[in-house]
Amino acid sequence: MKRSHHAEKSTGKGDPQCFTGEAGPAKFKVGERVRIKNLPDIFYTRCQVYTRGAEGTVAVVTHESPAPEDEAWDNTDKPEWFYIVRFKQKDLWGDYPDAYPNDSVQTEFSERWLEKA
Amino acid sequence: MAEKHKAAPMVDEVSDFEILEAAVRELAIEKGLFTADDHRRFTEFAHSIGPLPAARLVAKAWLNPEFKKLALKDGVKASLEVGIDWLNPTGFGTPSDYTDLRVLEDTPKVKHVVVCTLCSCYPRPILGHSPEWYRTPNYRRRLVRWPRQVLAEFGLQLPADVEIRVEDSNQKCRFMVLPMRPAGTDGWSEEQLASIVTRDCMIGVALPHPDRKQDDKRPIHPAVHPIQHDHGHDHDHGH
Amino acid sequence: MRHIDLVGQLQPALHRPQHAPYPDAIDHALFRAYMRTSHDVGGEPDIPIRWEEKQEEQWEVNTYVTCECLAWRGIWNAEERRRRQNVDLGQTQYLGLPYYGRWLLSAARILVDKQHVTLTELINKIEEVRKRHEKKSPR
Repeated sequence: MKRSHHAEKSTGKGDPQCFTGEAGPAKFKVGERVRIKNLPDIFYTRCQVYTRGAEGTVAVVTHESPAPEDEAWDNTDKPEWFYIVRFKQKDLWGDYPDAYPNDSVQTEFSERWLEKA
Repeated sequence: MAEKHKAAPMVDEVSDFEILEAAVRELAIEKGLFTADDHRRFTEFAHSIGPLPAARLVAKAWLNPEFKKLALKDGVKASLEVGIDWLNPTGFGTPSDYTDLRVLEDTPKVKHVVVCTLCSCYPRPILGHSPEWYRTPNYRRRLVRWPRQVLAEFGLQLPADVEIRVEDSNQKCRFMVLPMRPAGTDGWSEEQLASIVTRDCMIGVALPHPDRKQDDKRPIHPAVHPIQHDHGHDHDHGH
Repeated sequence: MRHIDLVGQLQPALHRPQHAPYPDAIDHALFRAYMRTSHDVGGEPDIPIRWEEKQEEQWEVNTYVTCECLAWRGIWNAEERRRRQNVDLGQTQYLGLPYYGRWLLSAARILVDKQHVTLTELINKIEEVRKRHEKKSPR
């Protein structure tokens, strides 16, 4: 029977820890300004549409893992670094009230979605 | 369907979901994809989880600055100190929750609140099963864009100079909020403190209060066939 | 992202003169609105609702456990599960079925898609379970 090797690989380590060391050096660091790329939407992603084209700041470099677009078809060949990026609400939603200029949203991206702002 | 003999029919009425659930489970076991024992063991685990360990983590962090540092740096490691091993029950965790807990610390100027706009990612091992409202498309649609309105509906209104920081939990990290310790709790024990840290406080839609040990009362949609903890349910032929 | 605002209007009306439109009727914004993965609802306008709790059905917990056991034993990984139950179902089932109803359908589907059972076996099993319940509580 065909079983994914994933369960075996992560046993005793956890997931995403089982991919540690597989992505090479991280391209971005905490505090850097980044822009979310507007790649085509087709079949699957976990990069929300509301973040596309927006600029934010890297808040946390989280871990290495295959990107969802690959792992959703059980391909774990090319892990990437993941980043939590923080956005000002105003930079996401033009109609966000000016009364709350500090309000923010943060969410996580695999490296392919980020470019230097 | 008009039924002529209705002795005590509703109790045994089964839904399409119940039939399909039994069919899928039984087939998976018959085909050896997993064993009945796997299912039983994971069911026990599913019944064992709840928000208490997370509440204890918060209370410990309030009392012990060293522990707080650990919790903010490595949530999974800190969880061990409140009895939660994120690798349970499979050896690599609960597959759908992964094993990377991040603790978000509120400050006088920052208030965190968690959503998963894409599904309803939630730190089950330490916080239990997510509430139904957290899973609704409505909460997921609105919280990222209208957080102050949504929080107000939960009874939480915050000053304009407090940054409301929405955490959209969308990948493998799982998040819980470490709220600020409320006034009026001086000298309290860890247990006392944990008793006021409710589930909603750790999602971020409520704040702990010394007089409140339970989340706001909300309507509860009842189950037709609620969970049987003794596994004696008559659908469970596969067990 | 203009197409975010279009997504809420995507449910096809019941009566349209032509359901599959001519290709030139689909501009970029409409194409993206259709291609948008159905789980990506963040920022869609919606009205306030009453926040409620819910008691879980036995089948819901069983479904959750079945899905986790399938991952535990390497039949799928959690990302595959998320794709199948939150996107592959399509918008109508995504929005129209209960949360664990979608988990359940994706579990049924993976058994067939990965050829662990044939669709015939699944259909026969559903029928068998249904009859078993009928026997227990004859109508």
